[in-house]
Amino acid sequence: MSDSTLTVERVSLRIGTFALQDISFSLAPGQVYGILGPSGAGKSVLLETIAGFYWPDHGRILIEGRDVTRAAPEARRVGFMFQDYALFPHLTVAQNVKFGLQFRRSRPRPTEHSQVQDLLARLGLEQIAERHPSNLSGGEKQRVALARALAMEPAFFLFDEPLSALDARTRDSLREELRTLLRELGVPAIYVTHDQTEALVLADRLAVIRDGVLLQEGTPSEVFGAPVDEFVARFVGVETIIAGRVLCTHDGVATVQVTPERRIEAVDHGAVRSPSVLVCIRPEDVALNRPPAKDSAGANQFPGRVVGGEPLGPMLKVKLDCGFPLTAFVTKRTYLDLKLAPGAEVVAHIEAAAVHLIGQP
Amino acid sequence: MRTQTLGQSRGLVFVFSVVGGLLLAFILVPLLRMYATQTPATLMQIAAIEDVQSAIWLSLEAAFLTALLAGALGVPLAYLLARTTFPGKGVVEAVVDLPLAIPHTVVGIALLFVFGRTGIIGGPVNAVTGFQFWGTWGGIVIAMLFVSVTYTVNAARVGFESVDARLERVARTLGAGPWSVFGRVTLPLAWRGIVTGLMLTYARSISEFGAVIILTYYPMTAPVKIYDLFLQSGLDESSAMAVLFLTASLAVFIILRHLSYGRVTPGGRRM
Repeated sequence: MSDSTLTVERVSLRIGTFALQDISFSLAPGQVYGILGPSGAGKSVLLETIAGFYWPDHGRILIEGRDVTRAAPEARRVGFMFQDYALFPHLTVAQNVKFGLQFRRSRPRPTEHSQVQDLLARLGLEQIAERHPSNLSGGEKQRVALARALAMEPAFFLFDEPLSALDARTRDSLREELRTLLRELGVPAIYVTHDQTEALVLADRLAVIRDGVLLQEGTPSEVFGAPVDEFVARFVGVETIIAGRVLCTHDGVATVQVTPERRIEAVDHGAVRSPSVLVCIRPEDVALNRPPAKDSAGANQFPGRVVGGEPLGPMLKVKLDCGFPLTAFVTKRTYLDLKLAPGAEVVAHIEAAAVHLIGQP
Repeated sequence: MRTQTLGQSRGLVFVFSVVGGLLLAFILVPLLRMYATQTPATLMQIAAIEDVQSAIWLSLEAAFLTALLAGALGVPLAYLLARTTFPGKGVVEAVVDLPLAIPHTVVGIALLFVFGRTGIIGGPVNAVTGFQFWGTWGGIVIAMLFVSVTYTVNAARVGFESVDARLERVARTLGAGPWSVFGRVTLPLAWRGIVTGLMLTYARSISEFGAVIILTYYPMTAPVKIYDLFLQSGLDESSAMAVLFLTASLAVFIILRHLSYGRVTPGGRRM
């Protein structure tokens, strides 16, 4: 059969008023698959269905080619990583790691101890083997949970927003550590999150879901660069979305009228069939210069005025009025050099290749 | 010790402390007064009576047995109430609480209809096995169980509700079947709640008088014997036995409590 680790085939499930609708995707060996969506989108229900806590009303779930649609959770070999990792508080680190081993009938008991030792060593947990989870740091908990799941040799991991309850600094460092560990372990994983940065950093492939519907699927650069609709665009961090009309297409470059005075050029991949479109521009693709424009004849040069700005972690978000509203990310250095206080005159430049068009019906 | 946190007024804490203190005094003064009036000679004399000794032992044993039975019968129901929803759950909860609202003499009379000589269970059980609930420890345990099992169910339920359901789920994904998850994750983590329930059931059972005296006058439990002494011999002798019984049951209660809560707690600390 298929050589994918997990195949979710047209899965539908209704729970009360919520429904997963016709979800299909597959997880390839060694891959990290991100599922991105707002709270209430059905991400957790989807994971719990894959793990066997819900049975789909329609569709099939295959793990390594085996149909597990109606199999019990304990028969699926899925390493479920909950938020905060749900370590057993009454057991030590070593006992937590050992937990999954004792239910493997095929394995002779005497090897259990050495397996636990191996796993503890592999994840650097020997020093804390006798501690209880309440005395562990976030990073230690993460590694214990991974070791505990690895003990039963999972076909893949499921991560249910494991980092979402943490403060920003801890989250950044745990995310880095998790990425490294996932690469080292080589175990495929599905990673559910509402955080686009997490999805971008961790995932080899991405799906965006909302209200139980899978809206888009692809590599992170496909999803982030070419969202299929306005919701996905906003969710993956597109700040500027303007309605426009395609005037003409020359050599794969479409010219879009967005206001009576402004036209934006966009590289058209032939996906847009209708003249009515949404123009999507990511804030990090907007370059700002002092007027006059360096090359006033060049395409997508828009003189404008700063109307607002706000600090955004290491970057600043600057809102412009270029005849249409435009949002740009700049570094603090650029902000100071260009004197981007509200009212300042600037010229915004966007590469045609960085402009994405969404066809509107 | 900090007696006050920010945001609480000193005046409020003071007034409430006075009222709380009065309540504690209301509980403790009669008991201490009863202890204070005893003379060693009377205590020794009463303690030497064989009936008194056997009544106290019977109370301790029957209450212990009741607690075990309450655990075996109450824990499964507590788990269901904590973890599942089903039609009529409100009715089930009300039934569990019902014994608390029934006068204990009424309990005794109702139990006679079922476990008495001609009762719908007492009769057949006696005919088949020869065991009788009347006049034996069987009736005592039945009466104690009826009035005290509520505490086990409710406290165990709180214990189960305090166990994060994700821990049970993660255990399933690690290969444990439902029974293993219950035994290795849920039960150990709900242990404190269950033990609290068993303690309350034990304490309530030991103090039961009304239902026991109607279902089973003989053999006498300690409360029945104390009542008997009160009627036959007066306050001095009955209060002496009361002090002996109270001391014995408190001692057992403290020992059991210590043994049970001495287990490793979820935080990994030993109490």
